Amino acid sequence: MALDIAVLVSVGRHPASARNRRAVLDARALELALNVPGANIHLIHAGDADEPALREYLGMGVERLSVLGVPAHADVLPVLVAHLKALRPALVLCGAAAEQGAGSGELPYRLAAALGMPIVPAVAGFELHGGRAQLAQALPRGRRRGVEAALPVLLSVDRAAPEPRQSAYARAQRGQIERIAVPAAPLWQPPGEEQPARKRPKRLKLISGSGAERMRAAQGAAASAGKGQLLVQPEPAAAAQAIYDYLLSEGILRG
Amino acid sequence: MSTTPRLRNMRRPRLEGSGRVRRDPRAERLYCGEPAGETLSARGLPRRDPRAWYAAGPQANGRVRIDRSQRPGSASVAASAPLRAAEPALKTVVIAEPAFWVLAVPDLDDGRLSAHDRDVFGGARLLAADGGAVVAVCFGPAEGLDLAGADRVLQFDAAVFAGYAPEARAAAVAAVIATLDPRHVLLPDTPIGGGDLGRRLAAQLGETAAVRVQKLSAGEAIARGNGGRSDYHMAPPRLLLLAPEAADPLGGVRHEALALPVPELDTPTRLLDRGLLAIDPNSVPLAEADFICSAGNGVHDWSAFHAVAAALGATEGGSRMVCDAGLLPRHRQVGASGTLVDPRCYLAFGIAGAPQHLQGITRCERVIAVNTDLHAEMVKRADLAIVQDAQRVMPALTRLIEEKRHGA
Amino acid sequence: MNALIPGLLVLASLLALAALAVARAARWRAGRAAAVDAVAGLLAMPGRYLHDVHDAVLRDPVGRAKAGDTGRAAARMHMLTAGGFIAATALILAVHLFALGGVVLAWLLLAFLALMSAGLLRLYARRKPEVSPRLSRGGFDRLPYAFTAFIVFFAIATLPAAGLIAPFSWASLGGLALLALGAWACIELYVGMGYGPLKHALNGVLHLAFHPRPARFGATTPDSALQPLPATAERLGVEQPRDFAWNRLLAFDACVQCGRCEAACPAFAAGLPLNPKKLIQDLVAASGTHGSDLGYSGSPYPQRPVGSAHGAIDKPIIGSGAMIHPDTLWACTTCRACVYECPMMIEHVDAVVDLRRFQTLELGATPNKAPAVLEELKATDTVCGRPTSARLDWAADLRLPLLAEVEHTEALLWIGEGGFDMRNQRTLRALVKLLREAGIEPAVLGAEELDCGDVARRLGDEKTFEALARRNIATLNGYAGRFARIVTADPHVLQVLGREYPALGGYYSVVHHSTLLAELIEAGRLKPAADDSGRRVTFHDPCYLGRYNGEVSAPRRVLKGIGIKVVEMNRSGMRSSCCGWGGGSTFTDVPGKRRIPDVRMDHVRETGAELVAVACPNCAVMLEGVVQPRADVADLAELLLAAVEAGK
Ligand SMILES: Cc1cc2nc3c(=O)[nH]c(=O)nc-3n(C[C@H](O)[C@H](O)[C@H](O)COP(=O)(O)OP(=O)(O)OC[C@H]3O[C@@H](n4cnc5c(N)ncnc54)[C@H](O)[C@@H]3O)c2cc1C
Ligand code: SF4
Ligand code: SF4
Repeated sequence: MALDIAVLVSVGRHPASARNRRAVLDARALELALNVPGANIHLIHAGDADEPALREYLGMGVERLSVLGVPAHADVLPVLVAHLKALRPALVLCGAAAEQGAGSGELPYRLAAALGMPIVPAVAGFELHGGRAQLAQALPRGRRRGVEAALPVLLSVDRAAPEPRQSAYARAQRGQIERIAVPAAPLWQPPGEEQPARKRPKRLKLISGSGAERMRAAQGAAASAGKGQLLVQPEPAAAAQAIYDYLLSEGILRG
Repeated sequence: MSTTPRLRNMRRPRLEGSGRVRRDPRAERLYCGEPAGETLSARGLPRRDPRAWYAAGPQANGRVRIDRSQRPGSASVAASAPLRAAEPALKTVVIAEPAFWVLAVPDLDDGRLSAHDRDVFGGARLLAADGGAVVAVCFGPAEGLDLAGADRVLQFDAAVFAGYAPEARAAAVAAVIATLDPRHVLLPDTPIGGGDLGRRLAAQLGETAAVRVQKLSAGEAIARGNGGRSDYHMAPPRLLLLAPEAADPLGGVRHEALALPVPELDTPTRLLDRGLLAIDPNSVPLAEADFICSAGNGVHDWSAFHAVAAALGATEGGSRMVCDAGLLPRHRQVGASGTLVDPRCYLAFGIAGAPQHLQGITRCERVIAVNTDLHAEMVKRADLAIVQDAQRVMPALTRLIEEKRHGA
Repeated sequence: MNALIPGLLVLASLLALAALAVARAARWRAGRAAAVDAVAGLLAMPGRYLHDVHDAVLRDPVGRAKAGDTGRAAARMHMLTAGGFIAATALILAVHLFALGGVVLAWLLLAFLALMSAGLLRLYARRKPEVSPRLSRGGFDRLPYAFTAFIVFFAIATLPAAGLIAPFSWASLGGLALLALGAWACIELYVGMGYGPLKHALNGVLHLAFHPRPARFGATTPDSALQPLPATAERLGVEQPRDFAWNRLLAFDACVQCGRCEAACPAFAAGLPLNPKKLIQDLVAASGTHGSDLGYSGSPYPQRPVGSAHGAIDKPIIGSGAMIHPDTLWACTTCRACVYECPMMIEHVDAVVDLRRFQTLELGATPNKAPAVLEELKATDTVCGRPTSARLDWAADLRLPLLAEVEHTEALLWIGEGGFDMRNQRTLRALVKLLREAGIEPAVLGAEELDCGDVARRLGDEKTFEALARRNIATLNGYAGRFARIVTADPHVLQVLGREYPALGGYYSVVHHSTLLAELIEAGRLKPAADDSGRRVTFHDPCYLGRYNGEVSAPRRVLKGIGIKVVEMNRSGMRSSCCGWGGGSTFTDVPGKRRIPDVRMDHVRETGAELVAVACPNCAVMLEGVVQPRADVADLAELLLAAVEAGK
């Protein structure tokens, strides 16, 4: 019996152009699903079926995308829960957070709670054996943790997952979009007063006392040319000591 | 959840007027959101006094060395010796009868408070300012909670909480919330630490958390969303997931960190932690690497290079020259046509710093360069630059690390 | 009967050839339909042969590995051998089959056989004692012997008719041996024209007549614009040989395996797994029912063995187990060196791009960083993924007026991707200053300028190219009449805006900055001081300026205007060698033994130049990426500005 995998996708947005596109993490979730041999992939989106960016997921080699027709800014949780309850997939895959709307990363958790499934975040890869999923969870610094869970399980995917395959134009055009009518969904409310994000300065790192240097540190690495400490022709041992001290003081090495 | 967890032996905070909070003048200042060491500058903007944050250490090698071990946020404040010596000078804030509770749930990755954890406590203190007490909810032992700002500590040590146990931990925190009814619960918004736990709690409690909080004050939390393009300004809700540096950590003061009795819980576990998968720093994809030791055309002694990378526990990278020459595999190439990396530190041996190479490390905060050419672009880009033959520096560094390791 | 035997031999061979040709034509007909004006083509064919083919043959092959391996030698060899052969064939039929002409024609026949012998000597010289590595072996190695046998057999057979010896019977031992020799020669030479090395003769003639780019013949500038996707194809681009138009299949079949393309190919020289000659031969082999490269006897794709490739007319061409490995397809820089050298007028780049279109549009199999670049182009209209509004960030102090704000400008400056790159901002800055110095106030499109689409198109993403092009055209047409011409420092922009937008309805006068600067110097509007540094300077011709647009003089005129005498590289002008950037190669980044720019820098080194002048932002980046020590790299605009400032 083929394994049913539901992949939930949203409409992403390019940070530089603010143009719609496939969402980076959702595409990775789909990539993981596409790598499961013999899986029966249900690609699901709740939103506007006419959004062209959705076709980019079809271009990755899926024949059909089911769109639960809710208006923009609707709370998609109820319709997704209802749809998935009927579908009863063994695996639900999604990106860690949407690129538009609140994108708070809470949806996967609410979904899992509503479906009674366990959820594992930051999944970088998985294998399925005998009704159980062996997951590799991405930890900071490239580390991986093994996590095991019984199916069904909901997995959220972050940047450590494999890069999504290229979306091919012809497949994107030929893929089908299935429109599913759903009951009216309540509107999503922003969690507070929305304002354009303000860049916040990094906390001053106390590299040294001089005001100018702290200023530069605050401006971040991009502007950091020429700010450094320089040792010309030191003895190798002194050079090694300087590197060691630096690594220690920056917390890269632990003494 | 199968059973309703119960906490025993825990008193609800007294909200009535009779339970007066004992106040400490120094702590008062803190409650006003004004960490020690911060004064108002002439223009009325808070200005941090650097002298309060570090002490000038003894002269070494003719240079002024700054002992930053007391710097808040450095990894080992509580454990380091000089601080112990300074302890008696610190005032202890006592909140005997708190008006309400604020929970802080640190990640305690590797069993230590991270800088981010400390920021969370700083945030918790802000929200507890008018008479509340901060309860640290810890899974496993932790040091330095008193300095971080915890008035009470709830330490869950049972085996079910060890490792990756988000369901058990969420159940435990939910139980604490049910019992203490805290005004706020703060966690660091880290992908598989507090960020995971906090969202589980939100889903479980049916509440909306403020996530990726960029800035927190007593009256306002600024959450970030919409793909990083929007800030949401709101009164701090109950659940708060803080981005790094959303609040300043505490300094120059300590709290009681009194242990509270820990309830017994029946916790669900549907997820099994299978432990860390074997990691060879060189199997780490460059894009994820935390510390990269990189070689360019100026490296000739390859065994010395591999040795120093191994001693440092760093992931190997290289310029296109060495990857083209087959000295390192192609997926180790850093740069425009290789991988764009953002490690915490990039150590470059014998790399000229061509624009295509520098493009690969634009997001990298700390760069160390070892190069024979004083005028190399990499030297200009570096935070620490050493003009010396890489062949001589690499073995010296390996030797030094090995000495320190065995000496320690 | 006895006397008829030599004539019958030829007749039978020609009939066998006709049968083979019909079978061959069936192979080509499996291809897609193509609009061909057959009558005009056939009429134009002799002219195309005498003019275009002759020119190409006459050029010395690149990197001659052998003394005497010159274009002139090749042309003579062909003239004598092929001319003699055609005349001899006609005379053999006349003399031996129809017994016409008596002694006179017999002597004439002997004379043409003698002419063939003169050509044959050159053929021996070409293949003995050693063969240039660019040439194929196999059947080609047998050709001198076959021609020798042919000449000997028909000379002896003609002696009686010429009255030199008495008629003899073939039924003797010696006669039979001679007959066997003659039969073998006829099979090799006549029947072989249907399948063997000599098929280039017949197919070449047909190819010239039915060429897919008739406009290239006799043109003053190269016919280099890529052709749009056919509107009504079930597959986008080419997956199987039959997805090529029939006259493209014919074109591949015309390849004579001379290896001139191989010798010129920068990817081959750098050891990338590409050899344009084998590429064409693989396409020929794949056009049958059971194709393989086992019969191929030329140089392999570098780093790849020969003999394991398999394909068929209805099988995918590209694949790691198929006829052509994807690395081979993506190693091409679309530099057109092969197209320029090919004496058979084959269009390699069209084939490469058609194959890439399928890989990208249908399969999504563009390798390495290229898919990310295409995605950025779709999402941001720039290669680097930055907003178009940032393209002019470096020029804030120059206060370049937007075209939207001015009534009319002489020069609409197309900034291109170079605006995002620090190296090339220097060039652009110099260009702006020079224009102002000459009294031209350029205007720019600002955020309205989108990527021209060159990279997308060369990577096979015709849809993204079209989308970018249509939007740029809409913008430019909206400003119709407000700018005299478009000026660009990027030859890729020159190519795409100037030559490829017309097919989509955008007709503009586009000039490369070298052309404009040369004009300005010659009109006295720029007055550079003569360079007196005495340094040796060479010039690297960008493929997209020279071979694509035919402009090789303007850059030299600019340098001459500064008083620089260019020390030419062995490969310069129309025969320049690519820097390795084109065709999206920096993004597909197929590994070779070396980098293509390193090879090009070697050419620079051979001249002893301290400075290599460039006229393209991409060449500048590629050549500056070569490790020191190497010549300095400077754009024409930078050099000219320095000279103009020195002249003040
Ligand atoms: C389109 C394009 C894309 C490119 N992409 C990339 C890319 O992604 N990544 C990349 O790295 N490059 C890339 N390059 C190549 C880049 O331009 C440089 O050529 C390359 O980075 C140089 O490598 P390097 O610094 O190791 O070598 P070199 O330029 O040879 O520099 C060697 C350095 O080592 C120093 N040195 C020599 N001996 C010693 C010694 N004994 N001890 C210490 N120092 C010594 C020298 O002073 C010099 O600074 C690209 C180029 C192009 C054109
Ligand atoms: S493609 Fe042209 S140049 Fe190349 S081998 Fe064939 S005939 Fe010669
Ligand atoms: S276009 Fe250039 S790189 Fe491509 S095959 Fe021809 S010669 Fe080689």
